[in-house]
Amino acid sequence: MKQPLSLHINDEIHELNLAPNKTLLEVLREELDLTGTKEVCLLGSCGACTVLVDNRPMLSCATLAVACKDKKITTIEGVKDGNDLHPLQQSFVEKGAVQCGYCTPGMILSGKALLDENPNPTKAEAAEAIAGNLCRCTGYAQIIDAIVSAPEIADSKSTKTQHETLAGTLDSGPYLMPETGE
Amino acid sequence: MNHLRHVGKSVKRKDGPDKVTGRAMYCQDVKLPGMLTGRILRSPHPHAKIVSIDLGKAKALDGVKGVITVEDTKGIKHGFVETPRYPADQEVLARDRVVHVGEEIAAVAAIDEVTAQAALELIEIEYEILPPVFDPHKAMREGAPEIHPSHPKVAEKESYANIGGKTESGWGDVEQGFADSYYVREDRYESHLRTHGYLEPQVTVAQWESDKLNVWTSSMGAFNKRAKLAKVLDLPYSSVRVHKAYVGGAFGGKVDLYSHEYCAARLSMLTGRPVRFVASREEIFSAYRHGQPLVVEIKTGVKKDGTLVAQELRIINNSGAYRGSGVVVVFLAWGFTMAPYRVPNLKYEGYSVYTNYTVRAPQRGHGCPQVRFAIESQLDTIAEEIGVNPIDIRLRNARVADEELPNKDNTHEAGLQDCIKIAAEKTDLVAKYGRDRKSPPKDSSIRHGIGIGISAYMSGTLIYPNGSGVIIKMNDDGSAVVLTGAIDLGQGAETIITQIVAEELSLEMDDIKIVSSDTDTTPQDIGAWISGLTYVTGNAARQAATNARVKLLGVAAEQMNVTADDLYLDNKEIISQSNPDNRLSYQQVIAASVANHHGDTVIGEGFWRTMRDEPNHPSLATTKGRWTENYAYSAQTAEVEVDLDTGEAKLVKALTVHDCGFPINPGLVKGQIDGQVSMALGHAFMEEILTKDGYTLNTSWLDYRMPTIHNMAESEDADVITEQYEVGQSYRTKEVGEGLVSGILAAIANAIYDATGVRLHSTPFSPEKILKGLRELERQQKAAE
Ligand code: FES
Ligand code: FES
Repeated sequence: MKQPLSLHINDEIHELNLAPNKTLLEVLREELDLTGTKEVCLLGSCGACTVLVDNRPMLSCATLAVACKDKKITTIEGVKDGNDLHPLQQSFVEKGAVQCGYCTPGMILSGKALLDENPNPTKAEAAEAIAGNLCRCTGYAQIIDAIVSAPEIADSKSTKTQHETLAGTLDSGPYLMPETGE
Repeated sequence: MNHLRHVGKSVKRKDGPDKVTGRAMYCQDVKLPGMLTGRILRSPHPHAKIVSIDLGKAKALDGVKGVITVEDTKGIKHGFVETPRYPADQEVLARDRVVHVGEEIAAVAAIDEVTAQAALELIEIEYEILPPVFDPHKAMREGAPEIHPSHPKVAEKESYANIGGKTESGWGDVEQGFADSYYVREDRYESHLRTHGYLEPQVTVAQWESDKLNVWTSSMGAFNKRAKLAKVLDLPYSSVRVHKAYVGGAFGGKVDLYSHEYCAARLSMLTGRPVRFVASREEIFSAYRHGQPLVVEIKTGVKKDGTLVAQELRIINNSGAYRGSGVVVVFLAWGFTMAPYRVPNLKYEGYSVYTNYTVRAPQRGHGCPQVRFAIESQLDTIAEEIGVNPIDIRLRNARVADEELPNKDNTHEAGLQDCIKIAAEKTDLVAKYGRDRKSPPKDSSIRHGIGIGISAYMSGTLIYPNGSGVIIKMNDDGSAVVLTGAIDLGQGAETIITQIVAEELSLEMDDIKIVSSDTDTTPQDIGAWISGLTYVTGNAARQAATNARVKLLGVAAEQMNVTADDLYLDNKEIISQSNPDNRLSYQQVIAASVANHHGDTVIGEGFWRTMRDEPNHPSLATTKGRWTENYAYSAQTAEVEVDLDTGEAKLVKALTVHDCGFPINPGLVKGQIDGQVSMALGHAFMEEILTKDGYTLNTSWLDYRMPTIHNMAESEDADVITEQYEVGQSYRTKEVGEGLVSGILAAIANAIYDATGVRLHSTPFSPEKILKGLRELERQQKAAE
């Protein structure tokens, strides 16, 4: 018995027709091809399927899609900074927090939920945020490092962006020589 | 020109952006039009005769597109090892008999999961139960139920039953050695069953298109999978294409050919539609391959100063119902015994025994943790008995540089002595050792201990496909595409290969695109399961880059009217040393090559093989023949806390001092080390597959605890003698991805002893065992008073 359901995912509204027993994970991966969210244990035991529902981390394998009606869902595909990586994503790359990558989307969303509430978390807070996310590859230290370093990256990104925009406008003027670099 | 710009640097992962955005495509993400869902019917019995199978109802179910049993196969067997002595012993689906719980009997392809599952339930099978055997010692006894009656007998002269393989080796005269020893002792150590714990489940998608099979499968090497799949399907290699997909962790568990891979392929051929199998986590726990617990019986004799005189080992491996890598692990256990310490007289026997358990696979470390746990534990016991400290006894016996090993391998630069010394210095081990036993803190139930364990690991050996090739295509704008069969499991293969090419061709990382792990479009590769990818494929990449560079230089020399040796490469330009104004861009050089050299677009090719003069891999039976080119040595220490009231032990701090050769990417090396320490921590304290009568009792992560962030210990590391490799040896890399689960396990056991005086003879190091040991100590103390 399918029923209509509209889901608000990554700033897009999806009008769906779904059996009421579909989990959010099934809808994301199978109906919408948002395969960035990983399917690992289907038992709520690994955290790999974590997405944000109204900014709170939720296990999509243990959440019914219908329960997300009128809520704002963010999956890894929706984590970005314009066309660029979100500072937390960049931090994961820079700090070596990614190996096989299977836990990564879930880790990033758990981390993002923390950072959205608490922009400068301690290591202990970061650890608490990912306590439900298993990673078999890294030993977690780099993941913690990536989460607590994200604010720094965000800062440097915003300075850089200002600088680039400025340079971009000036560059287009005829009177400016390209930078020569020392 | 000698400074390195890319190799030796912790550059960012090439695949990082794909993985942090969710774009990275894993097998589970492959979706093809019309794709069917496959499911497997598995044996509910550990040992039974299949009297009859009735597929009628299953086939008749709406939505079922195909059902297969062994009758639909060509009956071709496969095995992890396929040699004349150890021929393939497993069919892709059970024939007449099942020999372990979970053995694959039939497979279904249907329009969806629910239908596929329903079809499985409609398959009717009549079994006749046969007596099973689970304990390897019982399985070895004469008269034990024979699991493979028709197999060639391995240990013919012995009266044992169910021997799947045997390794026998040694030198000198152990009896004489023991007679000459100052101190001799015998111990027995046991290890337990653990799973790999890869997050990505086992997944295969197969799509048959008229005469071509396209496959996406969770693997550790596409070429090995292709060879095995083609064999059991009886297809030419050219008809099987294993495509690239990212792999969500493997740790040894995705090397072998799995039945579901065959079933996906065969069902796609039969139905004409793509078929996908995803193993459920419960299936992975209960029916797939785990690691290999070993029983290690060890007798050791030493001189008064701790010098090893003689050692005798007898190792029993419960290989499960098929050979799997069981015969390899009993060979490897020998290697991990002889590589770190000099033992003048050695007798080694390893048996791989069939039982009615699920089959066993390689698992990160492949026997090394089990063996090092035994040897290092016993060595500490010996050291204490003869009054030598744990560092001195190791330094006295540890191999040095440029030693020839009994198998004619050479230790080359071996940094083991340095590893031990630095580990001791950094932790102040000798001063700390024994502290809490000598003067137990009065006001606390917590005891602190420190321990050390060492190991040596091979860096690649000869096993199919034996060599790796790499091709570099220069684009006419000067950028490059690298074609490599290497597979990135998370260890960073794509990144290090790109670094090497960037270095050798003076390109930026972003100038290079890498195409990897596709059996049709990339050259053959040894794979990421033999601990030699960085060394073998890395050197192939270097050669390919050199080949392209030489071509570029040749053309440039003509164009610039200089000799090639006057030229150097710098950031996509070729520059004359004698006149730096005389320079051409790669783009110009490649254009000239195309114009003047019959259209040569500049393609570099390279290949590498370890131990290039060795014809073959060493004998698994006798250990004769060389094993590896490079041994990676390490010393690891563990600092633990044990609560005497609860028996709870925990790793507080781990230190890994290693000689991994030249680290192409120190950041990735660090990632490997931390991952291994965390895995060893799980091994030591948390993880255990519980079985009863061949059934797995804990089939999820709710009951099988893997380390989370809250279980982590501090992990530090240091590399030794790196500077020796820096001069001209920047590609002398060694293994760093699996051996380091070993010494640390032993170190933890030794640290627990140090904290409590309890010597553990089996893993895991559970509170029950520690409490039992403490009670035993109390009893002994009372008896002595
Ligand atoms: S897949 Fe949802 S918690 Fe594991
Ligand atoms: S990176 Fe592989 S599981 Fe975390």
